[in-house]
Amino acid sequence: MTRKSDFGISRRGILAAPLVLAMPNVVGRAFAQTEPLRFGVADPLTGPSAIFGLDQMQAVRWAVEDINAAGGIHGRKLEAIIVDHQAKPDVGIAVVTRLIQVDKVPAFITAFSNVVKAVAPIANREKTLMLSVGANSPDIKNLGEYVYTTFPLADVDMKALPAYLYKTQNKRRAAVLYVNHETGIEGAKVFTEYFKKAGGEVVLNESYEEQRSDFTGLVLKVRAANPDVVHIHSVVSDFTAIVAQMRQLGLTVQVTSFQTAFNPKMIQELGKGAEGIIVTAMAPSAEDNKNVPGYLERWKKAHNREPVGLPYTQYFHDAPYVMAALFKRVLDQKLPVTGENMRKALLEIKSFDLPLTNTITFNADHTVDAPTYFWQVKDGRFQVIGKL
Amino acid sequence: MTEFFLTMAILAGLNVLLASGFNMILGYGGLVSVAQPVFYAIGAYTSALLSMKLGVPLPLAMLAGAALAAIASFGVSLPSLRVSGDYLVIASMGFQLGIVHVINNIELTGAASGLSGILSAVEGPGRSWIYAAIVWTICAVVILGIRWLVTGPYGRAITAMRNDEEAFASLGRDAMRIKVTLFAVGSGIAGLAGALYGHYFLFLTPDQFGIFSSATLLTMVVVGGAATVRGPVLGAILLTVLPEAIRFLQLPVSIMAPLQGVLFSALVILFIFLKPEGLFGGTAVGGLEAWQGRGTARSKAGGRV
Repeated sequence: MTRKSDFGISRRGILAAPLVLAMPNVVGRAFAQTEPLRFGVADPLTGPSAIFGLDQMQAVRWAVEDINAAGGIHGRKLEAIIVDHQAKPDVGIAVVTRLIQVDKVPAFITAFSNVVKAVAPIANREKTLMLSVGANSPDIKNLGEYVYTTFPLADVDMKALPAYLYKTQNKRRAAVLYVNHETGIEGAKVFTEYFKKAGGEVVLNESYEEQRSDFTGLVLKVRAANPDVVHIHSVVSDFTAIVAQMRQLGLTVQVTSFQTAFNPKMIQELGKGAEGIIVTAMAPSAEDNKNVPGYLERWKKAHNREPVGLPYTQYFHDAPYVMAALFKRVLDQKLPVTGENMRKALLEIKSFDLPLTNTITFNADHTVDAPTYFWQVKDGRFQVIGKL
Repeated sequence: MTEFFLTMAILAGLNVLLASGFNMILGYGGLVSVAQPVFYAIGAYTSALLSMKLGVPLPLAMLAGAALAAIASFGVSLPSLRVSGDYLVIASMGFQLGIVHVINNIELTGAASGLSGILSAVEGPGRSWIYAAIVWTICAVVILGIRWLVTGPYGRAITAMRNDEEAFASLGRDAMRIKVTLFAVGSGIAGLAGALYGHYFLFLTPDQFGIFSSATLLTMVVVGGAATVRGPVLGAILLTVLPEAIRFLQLPVSIMAPLQGVLFSALVILFIFLKPEGLFGGTAVGGLEAWQGRGTARSKAGGRV
């Protein structure tokens, strides 16, 4: 029989109490050592921009699967918590707040310049590392100490394209059309400045409002200006609509754009009208990266097509590898997994060797540099024609 | 987690202000306008820019934002309140689109790139607690103010004007003055909400103030109960919390996104047809009759003077 104390508690119970009280601590610590290492991903999964977001998330999932299949990080699995920001700043604020406050992620990746700018104050305030993986507004470098970009900004490829057009393609008169939107304004500004610097003349500089569908007036202005190249800095659907209306009105002038137009569906929709279009890409092509052919094969096998916005998906695919390296550094140093320590790890590692985007090195201004690749639509598919 | 709930509380408070302001125009005034988001924008941008560019202290900048939104409402009310119904909808839509277009194209507001670097009203570890307290204190003051306004003699005048403008005018009262005042009060409250939003979330972009935000506000007012003080308050809280609660269900994105999209429009349609007085509106329908296509109380009864 067990003797009870005055309070009705047995002596054995009293002896066992410290053990019981210590249990959650022990179990908690053991659990903490096996629970997945989580990071957030906020991207558009619905709405007009989902055409990019869905393929980007496929790339993230594959990368996380591969990292885990290779043993994870010190035996712990990597886990991406994916949320939908619809490419809308207000939705971005809500979902990123949730990622940080509820899911307690120490770091997250996101894209789309308007959302990146809207959520940057939250990342800085909450000391959570934020990696922009597909937004290219040059402003992104000034968004605060917790905001870094793994993706080269527009002032890289839009400086390179005008020089390439002037020197290699002998273009002298450019018309610049851009959507009145964060990405369009900044991209067009840099293109215009550097085309003039290269020695060319910008004969038309016109913006249009988002969600417009008829571009006849704009196209007629282009015809009147008589350029030898038309650079269109637009969002997803506009580019196809503008080029289609240009071709319908008999304008066969050379068209250029940036990575948004790197879209096999655009070629399908424009048919022969797409031939000759030149787009920039900041991610290496198959010639410069041995893993790209296998990656394209994986897409073919799983989805029977190429990804929409191949270069973007390459950066998204590699972002979990950056996260894995940061988690590993923090765990190696036996530091708590916090946003502050993830940022510290990023600054210490600085240079990352990645499967699909080669080596990226973070500059002091939170950006990365990369060569610009020029792709041209030839025989119904994108083919690399140059690099700068 | 606490921080998340505090952020939700702040958003709910701002929506309470917006919906209560919109209720002044739609519910009490019976004036169908879709320009409420633009007054929210005017308040937000004015307060942010005054504090950033001219160093105006934040409380003053916020009040200036509210005041400018109220003054800007004359841009809709003075030329267009002589007409009502469909014409007012069109005029308010034009005003909304025009102002957003201006914000979208001028350097001062950051144009389409948005305005960043806005000063934070409160800093430090208790930031969200303090801000939630500030927002809800302002909500309480505004709600009590609206209650005082609509329950007194002025409230009776508003009801009389809304129910039968001709009879109201025949008593020597100026309906136009009441309409303009209601518009200014409702818009000023929206401006104040905008100012509060900017100094907490620290980034503004014209995308946030699109005309479709009117639909969300309309849902809050309709579901809660138009022409009541508590209706929009409870409607705003409910419709701020509900979409977030749906997110917690962890449904597949392919189901969740359409569900959230359909939620607001389905609720408006259901409530307008089945429960026009809203959840908390008692028997009051207020200005919703305009949305239902009904005439005034007197013309419903079939009589004309």
